[in-house]
Amino acid sequence: MNNFILHIPASINLYREGDLRGLNIEDLGRYLTEKTHIPFHLCGDIYEGLSEKRVEAVAKEYAKIKVKDPDRRLTRSAVPNLSFEVAAKKHRSGSTLSKPQPSGEGVEGLIMGSPLQAEIDYEKRRMKDLQWRIFGILYEGIWYQKIVSEIIHERQFDFNRCTILFTNQLFGTWDRDDRRYHARVSLYGFPNMISTTGLVEAPAKPKEFYLKKQMGVPVEILKEEYQGRFLDHGDPKTTDVLKGYAMQALFFHLSGEPFCEDPDCRLFNSHWQEEVLHAQMDGKYEFCPRHEAILQELKVKGKPR
Amino acid sequence: MSEKKPIFTPVSEKEVTRAIVDGFARQFIEYVESDCLIVGGGPSGLMVGRDIALKGVKTLIVERNNYIGGGFWIGGYLMNKVTVREPGQKILEELGIPYEKATKGLYVADGPHACSKLIAAACDAGVKFANMTIFDDVVLREGNRVCGAVVNWTPVQALPREITCVDPIALEAKFVVDSTGHDACVVRKLEERGIVKTSGFGAMWVEQSEDLVIEHTGEVLPGLIVTGMAVSTVYGLPRMGPTFGAMLLSGRKGAQVILEKMKKG
Repeated sequence: MNNFILHIPASINLYREGDLRGLNIEDLGRYLTEKTHIPFHLCGDIYEGLSEKRVEAVAKEYAKIKVKDPDRRLTRSAVPNLSFEVAAKKHRSGSTLSKPQPSGEGVEGLIMGSPLQAEIDYEKRRMKDLQWRIFGILYEGIWYQKIVSEIIHERQFDFNRCTILFTNQLFGTWDRDDRRYHARVSLYGFPNMISTTGLVEAPAKPKEFYLKKQMGVPVEILKEEYQGRFLDHGDPKTTDVLKGYAMQALFFHLSGEPFCEDPDCRLFNSHWQEEVLHAQMDGKYEFCPRHEAILQELKVKGKPR
Repeated sequence: MSEKKPIFTPVSEKEVTRAIVDGFARQFIEYVESDCLIVGGGPSGLMVGRDIALKGVKTLIVERNNYIGGGFWIGGYLMNKVTVREPGQKILEELGIPYEKATKGLYVADGPHACSKLIAAACDAGVKFANMTIFDDVVLREGNRVCGAVVNWTPVQALPREITCVDPIALEAKFVVDSTGHDACVVRKLEERGIVKTSGFGAMWVEQSEDLVIEHTGEVLPGLIVTGMAVSTVYGLPRMGPTFGAMLLSGRKGAQVILEKMKKG
């Protein structure tokens, strides 16, 4: 008997935000259920049904949490004990856990200011368009998660579900070790957030790619040259790769530990694109023996009730 | 034996001088007040000017350098090939600028050819220029509406301290465009006065920067439109690579914003 599993959710709720080119959420949901016997539920667009007033308020919040200087931590207040930062993993990672903590470090942060109206209008347009394709702004991940969490709670307050939001927006979290923001593929907590843009931008591409880009070689040329060594926006491999990240989210819900140290396991916390592709596409196995055993146990316990 | 006729008509020095002064003064007096005053004669400013002037909008571009065109003469690393991503090539076609396909979705043109064609298109549309003229301050009216710019000769900046008291002059306009690139000079001046807060560019470098620039192009304060790289500075958008499609399309969007606002009165 495995003591690893703490809490089996009644269902896995899958939300979406923006144009998720390359990702088939339904296919991903079926995979999760097949692996765990926990039913999945497609919840649709995260902003669907929000009133005009609520959209305005949420847009204003989003406009405040843009990370404009990755070397300065974004804080709600100048008062140290009201500021926040992420309890970053000790290693550089493509994923992180959301554990807001008071900083108390006395580091000068960047106070969230009043956004310009054009910034709020941009966020409103983004929220209202279910197929919004534009991304590239780096949002403060913890605050993004808080905003999204409130929206979900307004609809359904139920911690008995594992909730995952798939978004095409980019978020990052503050890393206490190197004192800067890093873009992330995923952020686990409530809700779990997985970014299709983060999947492309966060794990590092081959070093030569960046060197050539610095020399002014257009990205389009580099993509051809390094084809297959990293994921691109709308990549047909997106669904398969994100199945592993969704499983990390589920393991976080189950046990509080989403990652595995085995680079062949889908739960491996990859830093490089090549590691992502290896762990998710061509590892020795899907899950390491320990996590495979947990999944087998889950299949028995997780049958629909 | 017949006497050889001179090629050029003889004119005296004073007539040349009078022609320069008279031509400049007449235009300058006429453009002390315009419909649109564009600060910065780079690709986005030229594009705004060209598009609105084609619709009959009285337009003046103020440029601090002697040359117009900003960074559009050269691409990355001082190499004189400029690139645009799709759909930027449609504007190249519209302006009659030859280009080649570099790879899927990316096109390359000769910088000098592209830039000179764009300048010519703006001139042909009726845009006037005040080059060697540097932006100094903003003309503000009630409700912080931007109604013009205070300008000076560029060389004044380089004069010895004893004679830098050369006072600037003011130009009025219904709309002012900040197309001064990453400097965002006009918005920065308003920031000095505490009217607006800019963010400074550069959180990340991702492919979507160009889309974000277009999306954020527009009126930042009543009467003040921001276009091109200045948009990145004002809104803290990711910095961009050496492609110019966003500059051209941002200019076009800025023009649309101005035309819509003029229509509404």
